[in-house]
Amino acid sequence: MPSLRRSLPLVLTLVATPVFAHGIQVFAFADGDRIEGSAHFAGGGVARGARIRVLDAQGGLLAELEPDAEGVFSYQTRAPVDHLIVAETGDGHRAEWRVSAAELGPGFPEAAAEGAVSEGCVAGRSFADPSARSELTALIEQAVARQVRPLREELLAARGRASLRDVLGGIGYLFGLAGVLMWWRARGSRDLK
Amino acid sequence: MAHVPDGVLSTPVLVGGALGSLALLTLSLRRLDYGHLPHAAVLSAAFFVSSLISVPLGPSSVHLLLNGLMGVMLGWTAVPALLVALCLQLVFFGHGGLAALGVNTLNMAIPALLCGLALRPRLARAGPGGMFRIGAAAGGIGVLLTGLLVVLSLVLSDRAFLPAAQVLAVSVLPLALVEALITGTVLSFLARVDPGSVLGEGAGRA
Repeated sequence: MPSLRRSLPLVLTLVATPVFAHGIQVFAFADGDRIEGSAHFAGGGVARGARIRVLDAQGGLLAELEPDAEGVFSYQTRAPVDHLIVAETGDGHRAEWRVSAAELGPGFPEAAAEGAVSEGCVAGRSFADPSARSELTALIEQAVARQVRPLREELLAARGRASLRDVLGGIGYLFGLAGVLMWWRARGSRDLK
Repeated sequence: MAHVPDGVLSTPVLVGGALGSLALLTLSLRRLDYGHLPHAAVLSAAFFVSSLISVPLGPSSVHLLLNGLMGVMLGWTAVPALLVALCLQLVFFGHGGLAALGVNTLNMAIPALLCGLALRPRLARAGPGGMFRIGAAAGGIGVLLTGLLVVLSLVLSDRAFLPAAQVLAVSVLPLALVEALITGTVLSFLARVDPGSVLGEGAGRA
């Protein structure tokens, strides 16, 4: 029996390989003046039944969306301000994602153009015209955002996934705590003798 | 399902959960059975890890809870064991919210305690088949009751009842079935190979 009792923790840790963190995850990115996003359950399932709420910086409700069969949703923004995307399921899973005003800026050329005028012109003939310059800036920012997006999603997914180190660390804490308590108890009973 | 994150529940529910779990913890620390400490460590380690393996199911994702097993094996010791495991899940995995820790502890510990109080006295008289039935009952009751308590804490926080109840019906019933099978199997296995671990020290040798 002692051998079994000693091997049980080992068996349990081997059986339980870390897979994914728990709950729902939401990603959203600015694409021009639209916000494109997706909602997933940890473990890869599409969060079809989730409710997506778009809030402004003050917490006011801008829109309520429902993701499609792939868990994808999109929202047409009206102003380049901070947007908070909240994904919720009925049973209390919840995730948030913030799309900053800076990210949406390029989608609103009128607002960006004002900035460009005050910044002045760069050397070079074709960029002397402020509106052309701001248009080019917007295009570059959109292209870079699109390129970087898969990287960001991957980074987020990696951060959400619990690593083996987390699992072993937690189990170590549990056994250590039990060990400290038992040591403490054992010392107490020896003092009594 | 059972780890409610921050920002979902209302303040009265959070405060009530924190006070309730504090009271339950004080009560259980007074009745703590130090002979159960090694089992508590193993079971809370299993509980800690089991929440990582979540399976998307219907409009939600589920994972094993194991609180029924903890209740029936540990009795009152299950409360601190659950609390410590929930704290570690919060720190290491980000499961559940810090403010919701009290509510989450209550949602898991109350079913565990009820399983312990209702089913533990029956263990001594149970045969091999009886062990499986007791374990299955503990697993099923643990999951169903936890689901109910989660819905209750959502409803008390002024959230729509219907979606929560629907999700509960779709995702919790299959989980309760699976958990009942697993808990029954684990309990009858442990009772066969190491009766002392299930019935308490001394009973195995008698």
